Amino acid sequence: MVDWSEVVRGLFTREAAFVVSVAILFVGLVLSYLLWRWVRSLLENAGIDEAVEGTPFERTARGFGTSTIGLLAFISAVAFYIGTVVVALNVAQLLNPNVFWSHFTGYLPRLFIAAVAIIVGMLVGDKAKLYVSERLRSIKVPEVELIPEIVRYSIFYTAALIALAQIGVATAALLVLLAAYAFGLVLLSGLAFKDLLAASAAGVYLLLTEPYTIGDEVRIDDKRGIVQEIDMFVTHIEADGEEYIVPNQEVFRTGVVRVRD
Amino acid sequence: MTPLDEVLSDIVAAVDAAFLFSPSASLYEDFAAAETDYDVVVVGPENAVDAPNFVELPLDFGDVTAQVRFGLEGAIDQELVAEGDTIACVTSVFEDGPDTVMRVQATEFSHSGVYDLFVNSRAEPAVIRNVFEVAIELGKKGQKGKPVGALFVVGDAGKVMNKSRPLSYNPFEKSHVHVGDPIVNVMLKEFSRLDGAFVISDSGKIVSAYRYLEPSAAGVDIPKGLGARHMAAGAITRDTNAVAIVLSESDGMVRAFKAGELVLELDPEEY
Repeated sequence: MVDWSEVVRGLFTREAAFVVSVAILFVGLVLSYLLWRWVRSLLENAGIDEAVEGTPFERTARGFGTSTIGLLAFISAVAFYIGTVVVALNVAQLLNPNVFWSHFTGYLPRLFIAAVAIIVGMLVGDKAKLYVSERLRSIKVPEVELIPEIVRYSIFYTAALIALAQIGVATAALLVLLAAYAFGLVLLSGLAFKDLLAASAAGVYLLLTEPYTIGDEVRIDDKRGIVQEIDMFVTHIEADGEEYIVPNQEVFRTGVVRVRD
Repeated sequence: MTPLDEVLSDIVAAVDAAFLFSPSASLYEDFAAAETDYDVVVVGPENAVDAPNFVELPLDFGDVTAQVRFGLEGAIDQELVAEGDTIACVTSVFEDGPDTVMRVQATEFSHSGVYDLFVNSRAEPAVIRNVFEVAIELGKKGQKGKPVGALFVVGDAGKVMNKSRPLSYNPFEKSHVHVGDPIVNVMLKEFSRLDGAFVISDSGKIVSAYRYLEPSAAGVDIPKGLGARHMAAGAITRDTNAVAIVLSESDGMVRAFKAGELVLELDPEEY
C-alpha cells in the first residue's frame, strides 16, 4: 500500500498542507450538500415517499420534522462529509495517519450500511405488516392479528442482524436463533399444509385430464351423486339434499366410479 | 324558514332510517357522529366507510329507482329495516356527490326478488354480476354489429347438464375459463352466434356452450310475447336451483329468471 502521508509530506510544506486541508473541508461541504440534494431527488423520483407513506417509521420521522427520504439523504451526506473531514485531517497531518486510514475509513462504509439496513428493515417490516393485515382483513378473528406482527418483527430481526453483522458485533448466537426459527416455520407449515398440498397435487391431475366433469354421476367411497364443481382442492358431489365436499386426495386414494346408465 | 327548507324538512320528517348511497367518508362520519333517532344504512358497491349497516350493490343499476329498490330489499332481507318503515334516501342522480333526497315507504315496492337473485342464489354474487356484465356488453355491441341473443344458465351446473343435451361439440371441454377473466368476454361473444345455452357453474367456470335445455315447461308463467329462449330460461330455473340470464335478440333487453319467474329487466343501452 502506498504511504499517503509520505506523499502528502513530499508535496506540500506544513503551511500549504493546512491551507489545502481547509480547501478540502470547504469543497467537501459543497459536495455533500449536492449529494444530499441528489439523493433526495433520486429517492423522490423513485416514488419512495409514496411507498413509505403511512408507515410508523415515516410518521416518527415526520414527528421530528424530517422524513424518511430526508433521513436517508442526511445519512449519506454526513457519511460523505465525515470522509472528507478525515481526508482533510490527514492532509494537515494533525493525526497519526496510519491508524486512521486503516481503521476509521474502513469502518465508515459499514456504519453507513448498518444505518441504511436498519431504516430499510423498519420500513419494509411496517409495509409488510400493513400488506398482510390488509389481506387478512376479511377474517375477523382476534388471533389473526398476530400474524402481521410476526411478519413485521421477523423482518425487524433480520434487519437488526444485518446491521449488527456490519458493525462487527458477534451475531453467531442470533443467527442460530434465526435458523431455528426459520426451520420451525418451514416444518410447522409443512405439517399444517400437508393435506392441502396432497389435495392440490391430485387436483392438478383431475383438472388437466378431467376423468369426470361437472354433470357426471360418480361414486367416490360410498358417496354417490352428481358432480357440481371441481377445483384445486375439493370436488363437490351432490345427491338429493346432500352435498359432499370430497378432498381430491381421497379421489385418488379410493378411486372413482363413474355411474353410467 | 323558506318554502324550500319546508319541503326538505317535510321529506325527511319522522323517518325510520336514512339510506346513504355511496357516501363520501366525511358525509358518513357526520351521520355516524350525530345523535339521531333513525338508523343509518350505507348502500354502495363497496363498504368504503366501514359502516356496520351495509347493503352491497352488486351492479351499477343505472337508474336510481332500481338502486333504491335493491337497497330496500337488501335492508329488509338483512332486517336493518322493517316492512312499512319510512326511509329517506340520500343519493346522486347526476355525477359528483349527493344531489337528491328521496322519501320512500318500505312497502311501496312489491318484493321483486332482485336482492334475492344476487345474494341467495347458489352461484356466488360476483359470478352472477360478471354474467350480467357480459350480457350487457353483448347487448350493447352485438356480434359484429348485429343484435344477438344469448342464454346463460348460472349455478347448479351438474343438474342443468343432466337436464340438457349437447347440440354439438362443447368448445369449453377441458378448458378452465371462468366468467370475469378478460379473455372470456371475447370468447363468449364469438360463441354467442352458436345456438343453445351457456352453462356456468356455482364458482363461475364455463362448463359448456351449445346446450339444448330440456326442462319440463309445465307451469312456467312468463310474460306473453317473449320467445322460446325466455321460455327455456324460465323453465330451467323452475326445474333446478340455477338462475338464468337472457339477452333478447328481438328487443335487446337483458332479463334474469329465478325459480321460473322474471325478476329483473335491464336495458343495456342505459349503461
